[in-house]
Amino acid sequence: MSGKEPAMEAERFAALADAYGGQLQRWPLAERASAQRFAATAAGRAILRRAGMLDSMLDSYRIAAPGPVLHAAALRAAEINVVRQRRLRVWWLGLGLAGIGLAGVAAGLATVTIVTPEVQPEHYVLDANATAFGDVGPDADTAEEDI
Amino acid sequence: MGTDPDEDLVRRIGTGDPVAVRAMVARKLPRLLALATRMLGDPAEAEDVAQETFVRIWRHAAGWRRGQARFDSWIHRVALNLCYDRLRKRREWVTDDLPEQVDEAPLPDALPGDEENRVATALQRLAPRQREAIVLVYYQEMSNIEAAAVMQISVDALESLLARGRRSLQVMLTGDGSDD
Repeated sequence: MSGKEPAMEAERFAALADAYGGQLQRWPLAERASAQRFAATAAGRAILRRAGMLDSMLDSYRIAAPGPVLHAAALRAAEINVVRQRRLRVWWLGLGLAGIGLAGVAAGLATVTIVTPEVQPEHYVLDANATAFGDVGPDADTAEEDI
Repeated sequence: MGTDPDEDLVRRIGTGDPVAVRAMVARKLPRLLALATRMLGDPAEAEDVAQETFVRIWRHAAGWRRGQARFDSWIHRVALNLCYDRLRKRREWVTDDLPEQVDEAPLPDALPGDEENRVATALQRLAPRQREAIVLVYYQEMSNIEAAAVMQISVDALESLLARGRRSLQVMLTGDGSDD
């Protein structure tokens, strides 16, 4: 913002006026100081005057302040959201408790499984090659032939 | 980008502070209504957009964290997205895309109403992105950097949209299309 900024070219000044209009406070901050100096020239004043004509037309388009109904609706939306958030918290709490309950059941089952002694099977399942006379698998046959 | 003037208010809304809620409505509702009215040209639709934007504000305030954008920029983007949804719905039976061509025919001097009405009509005739740029910089008084961030474009692209938009408005409102 010091006076060391390079002087602004007329072309750039006109381009900025085309984009931002005739009021320098709307112009890019970085170029405002050098624009201010050019604005003091006759060419600068002419460019701003022309841009200002459109600005004054645009200024005529005003929007009425929000009515009380819209204002109340915006506030009501906030209340609805608070209720919704509260319900959501209750729902999550319920889900958490259900989770804790399920974890308890799972832990109980695991404990029962670990603590209960392993039941030995009543019948010994024989190997597929075993008979009442001994093993008749391929290895057994070969052993007999060797003798 | 400096400090965010809304940050404290948003934090208090997140804690359910009713005073902060009222302050936020007083601060932002006129701004959002103005934005939506100028973007849509329809006061009733604009009210719906402003209200819907507040629903989003309340829903996200508790979790809102400042990243690259300020809160005001964020709510502008939310409101603009809602405006574009409505603009697309209006045109979806004609085309999928929003038109970029501008009808630059000068408006009659004796348009019903006054100059305000002529400006509102001219603004609606602009391509939506040009209108958005002008509304953000001119009417919402955003800096070029803030407006470019809201529109997710470069500052150069913003300047181009602004210049084209203003030139079209100039032709429509004054019949003067000279570039000098």
